Amino acid sequence: MFDWFQAVPGRLHVVGALLPLAAFALLLAAGGVRSLCRPFREQGGFASKLYWALGGDIPLKTGAYLATAFMAGSALLGVIGLTNFLADPSTGEQRAARWGERVDWVRLGPLESASPPVWQKQHAGDRFAPAPKPALALELGYKIDHLTAVVFAMVTVIGTLIFVFSLGYMKDETQKTVEDHAGHEPLASSHDAHAGHATPQAAHSLHRRGRFGRFFLYLSLFCFSMLNLVIADNLFQVFVSWELVGVCSFFLIGFYYERPSASRAANKAFIVNRVGDAGFLVGMLIAWTYLGTLNFEEMTHRVRSPERDSHTSLRNANQFVRVNPSSEPNRYGVPQYELPKQGEGSHLALFPIVKPGHFDGIQAGGHKDGKVSVPVVATYTSYGTIPYWLFVVMGIGIFFGCMGKSAQVPLQTWLPDAMEGPTPVSALIHAATMVAAGVYLVGRCFPLFAPEVLLTIAYIGAITLFISATIALVQTDIKRVLAYSTCSQLGFMMLALGIGGWVAGLLHLITHAFFKALLFLCSGSVIHGCHHEQDLRKMGGLKAKMSITAFTMLVGVLAISGAPLLSGWYSKDMILSSALGYVSVHPEHVLLFALPVVTAGMTAYYMFRLWFLAFTGTPRDQHIHDHAHESPRVMTTPLIVLAMFSIGIAWGWPVWEAEASTLGHVLHSAEPISVKTDFATEQKAEHHVHLYAGAIALGMAAMGAYLAFSVFYQKTPSRDSLHATGPGWYRFLLGKWYFDEAYDAAIVKPTLNLAHAAAAADKRPPEPESRRFDWFTLDGILNAIGQSAGALGLVFRAAQTGLIRSYVLALALTAALLLGMLAVLAK
Amino acid sequence: MNEVGLTPFLLLSAFLFACGAVCVASKRNAIGILMGVELILNAANVNLVAFARFNTTFRLEGQVFALMVVVLAAAEAAVALAIFLNFYNNHATVDVDEAKNLRG
Repeated sequence: MFDWFQAVPGRLHVVGALLPLAAFALLLAAGGVRSLCRPFREQGGFASKLYWALGGDIPLKTGAYLATAFMAGSALLGVIGLTNFLADPSTGEQRAARWGERVDWVRLGPLESASPPVWQKQHAGDRFAPAPKPALALELGYKIDHLTAVVFAMVTVIGTLIFVFSLGYMKDETQKTVEDHAGHEPLASSHDAHAGHATPQAAHSLHRRGRFGRFFLYLSLFCFSMLNLVIADNLFQVFVSWELVGVCSFFLIGFYYERPSASRAANKAFIVNRVGDAGFLVGMLIAWTYLGTLNFEEMTHRVRSPERDSHTSLRNANQFVRVNPSSEPNRYGVPQYELPKQGEGSHLALFPIVKPGHFDGIQAGGHKDGKVSVPVVATYTSYGTIPYWLFVVMGIGIFFGCMGKSAQVPLQTWLPDAMEGPTPVSALIHAATMVAAGVYLVGRCFPLFAPEVLLTIAYIGAITLFISATIALVQTDIKRVLAYSTCSQLGFMMLALGIGGWVAGLLHLITHAFFKALLFLCSGSVIHGCHHEQDLRKMGGLKAKMSITAFTMLVGVLAISGAPLLSGWYSKDMILSSALGYVSVHPEHVLLFALPVVTAGMTAYYMFRLWFLAFTGTPRDQHIHDHAHESPRVMTTPLIVLAMFSIGIAWGWPVWEAEASTLGHVLHSAEPISVKTDFATEQKAEHHVHLYAGAIALGMAAMGAYLAFSVFYQKTPSRDSLHATGPGWYRFLLGKWYFDEAYDAAIVKPTLNLAHAAAAADKRPPEPESRRFDWFTLDGILNAIGQSAGALGLVFRAAQTGLIRSYVLALALTAALLLGMLAVLAK
Repeated sequence: MNEVGLTPFLLLSAFLFACGAVCVASKRNAIGILMGVELILNAANVNLVAFARFNTTFRLEGQVFALMVVVLAAAEAAVALAIFLNFYNNHATVDVDEAKNLRG
């Protein structure tokens, strides 16, 4: 066993990823057996014993403890794996072999029919030419690099803490019957749904069995999906996990599915994500068709020029090479491509993954700058080309999927609604799993993105971070403030990735995961303590009642605002200096620096606003305040642990230098080489402007925090002023820029109308004639065919007299006729 | 006496067949139809035996088939009479024009 891990230490991560799946399978099997045995529960015997052993009518806690233990095991493996990985001295081939394996999953048949690659024809005598891979196959594989190891450890550690927190938070679900007051609320907007919590309406409440085990079952599957996504070494495996993450979020957001608002939010999250996934699928299919592989590393080798050809090192390695089709084919009749004399080529050259024994680079610095032949049927062991616009579409498509998952404008609308799920789920979605997946994938696919795509990513990120932050300024639901702040922070990450701040973006992903998990769990603790009250306007002065929650949350607030020496400071500082560096090279994109700087101030404002409203001042709802209590130890312990992570996760030596972050250095070793080649000037500029960016960001954050301090702490706003509607811009922000309304009008309503029209067209007789469109067209034609057959039958029916003599006559006459014909024809 | 050729036998057979066919087509009485059928079968018998006599390659086959047809005719008559008896029990007549339950 030990040797097995020693040989390929990457297997630790695989086992770590499979542990939550095992917990999921166990819980699923136990639950299935229990419900199968349920009909026999009164009768005694084996089935009945099994039923009562698996918990019977009361939800069993064992499953939850089991899932938590498995998750903790996974976290342990993740941390061991990370330390192992960082201590591993191997490099190159050996490292790849030790930290990654691949197997064929679905084999799509040998490619014998395809013509052999061109280099094989030309170098038929070359014994050293490697044999081309005989088949295309979808693969299963894992590959651990610095990024994977860090993200894996992050997901498992945060996941474990959230599991532990859930043990306390979801205690209600362990009862035999749970009363859900919001269960049968009349259809109302989701805002009113929360009001329904506070005023229990006995008439509308619903009784159901507690779903403690089921919650942990979903959580386990969620964690497995995310871990599988993180360790995957190819796009297809990512896609599978991607969909699994999507469906788990659907289950968990709709966990209280009796509430119409929850089931609507779950549907919305699922459908909006499908929109993004459609783009992802398009990108993936383009990659599969043209690049012939979905393995990240191989795709990179395919689109980026190699380091050296068989003669010399290339001057422009790791870059996109754009070529033009040449007018005449080579002597074998194979089309050729050449470097354009000036300007950009219309096609992107694809390079062989398996290098032929002898080959010349197709670019300046290669052995010769001649033309290059491209076989008609390109396999991925040969040169190839892809139209450049398709390559851009591929990048945009993949990014579109990431937009859906990471809630970027215009697909951000599902994330705030996802607050309908239990709070630990929000923490899991917002911190460790779902939304991180999009950013992670952008980071993974970075070398595949054309400059145009990266610019799109940067602008989408910038727009998202600004819009979400403005909405967060005015929200009054404690979880919604956090939801919009997540959108905003994800925008920061996307922006950073788009402008070449690869390390900055992913460092922010890690640090944000910790403090956002902390903030969400704190808000969960507040909600739990206030008996499911989420409205900030009814809180206030809770610091005395729940001191641990208040102080851990303050740490989170400081971290997200970018207070110096806390983890958020390091990553945000890096992002802003990347942005400033980029803008100083490309002054026309000044928005890419202006928006995040303004937003940094807004972030501090709305986070402090939240904290002041909840924890300081005088209580605005005496009833809630009187009954508020600190959460039990099982919930506060994860808060304290997360708070410590939020402070120190990004520390390095010296602590006061943002660029000295150890985590940043670790991520830096994972940075694709293409980042350096694509953004060389920007990164150089970044070092010059680094201090300015940091100072500006700090100044803005301090201003925002002070503003919040003066408005919400010194004056202690009255209840009425918080409930006021305010001027037009305020209502505009409160209405979330009316994205939902716009989508409703532009997409949802027309779709529904179309569906209603289609349904009406299909209606049968009770509908008025005029609306029975189908009755006259498709249905009509089919019915006409059937009816004409019937009419024909009526005609032939007359021949069936039933009189033997007429039959005999017909028979005789027919025979005579045939014989006569024979006689005539025989002549 | 001159040898009688094949043609008179065939003519006889054709005549018998025609009689049988007309009988089947025109009779309303079921027994009459049965008799017509017998005529048709025997027309075939004449044909078979005549060919057996005048075509040396069919010497054996023709006679064997003729015997076969005789046996067949007996069986057929038995079945047909059974049907008619049943028909008579139900309809108190053997007029086949009354048998039109299967009329379309």
